[in-house]
Amino acid sequence: MEEEKELSEQESLKLITEMIQKAKGGFHENGTSAILWGSVVSIAGFISFTENYFRYYIGFDIWLIVLAAIIPQIFISIKENRNKKVVSHDEKFMDATWLVYGISIFALMFYINVVPSVSEHFIADYDKSQLLIKNLQTGAIQNWKPFIFGQSSLYLLLFSIPTLITGIARRFKPMLFGGLLCLALFITSCYTTTMWDMLLMALAGIFNWLIPGIILRSRFLKGKNC
Amino acid sequence: MFAELDPILHSQLRLAVMSLLIGVKEAEFIFIKEKTNATAGNLSVQIQKLKEAGYIDVVKEFKDNYPNTTCKITPKGIDAFEAYVKALQQYLQVK
Repeated sequence: MEEEKELSEQESLKLITEMIQKAKGGFHENGTSAILWGSVVSIAGFISFTENYFRYYIGFDIWLIVLAAIIPQIFISIKENRNKKVVSHDEKFMDATWLVYGISIFALMFYINVVPSVSEHFIADYDKSQLLIKNLQTGAIQNWKPFIFGQSSLYLLLFSIPTLITGIARRFKPMLFGGLLCLALFITSCYTTTMWDMLLMALAGIFNWLIPGIILRSRFLKGKNC
Repeated sequence: MFAELDPILHSQLRLAVMSLLIGVKEAEFIFIKEKTNATAGNLSVQIQKLKEAGYIDVVKEFKDNYPNTTCKITPKGIDAFEAYVKALQQYLQVK
């Protein structure tokens, strides 16, 4: 580009439009994180569903891969920050949204694991009570341990929040529709058993992150090759 | 009466740099160079002129042991860019 080329008004306006478009194309996410989390959640969901449906066990809790995925995510984030040549205006807002989401997921895991046993202690302390469950057919009475109902629904609701924010703020339709679909899956999960909830979680992983991630990736590679 | 076009902005490369920076929070020198297809020398001179006019902030630091220059548009630069676009619109409406 020449430094002092005489510009007409039309040329100036054309140049401004062209550069603004180029700047927009400069901060396309590469989609790696979305592909990673979309794959992990959908694989865990599908395996969990098939374990329940076909009554087999793979030998460990498949949802542990979600925790394992944090390690590559750390490397991805470091690499992305190192290679970042441009920062968009909404970058901090987006980073904060996904960070708060990550913290919320762990807070929810904590809640689901801690509240039942705490409730059991509270019930035991209160007037020396105990929760029992009676089988109406056999008449057998057993000790009943409290647990959180509809756990997957809570996860699905949480999944939809950052995805919808990103979809709306970045005007990125695949994430907007993915987030809306996730809300629909949340409502569906209120009426389904845990086994089917796992399938809904897998679908949420695919539509919330995996498909938008693949689209982001292809746009990123296209922009890179231009 | 038409507003005069800002001579600092009415140059191809400087306008290109400002148009890039208006859409982002900050950008590295290498990004601006890639998008404008300018030579490093020419771009450095024009960035210096924009900096002297107070239209952009330039931060020079080291990133992974390599010198790295980051540019960011200033509030004065945003005002100047907006005034330039308004003046352009006036000219174009008449034509």
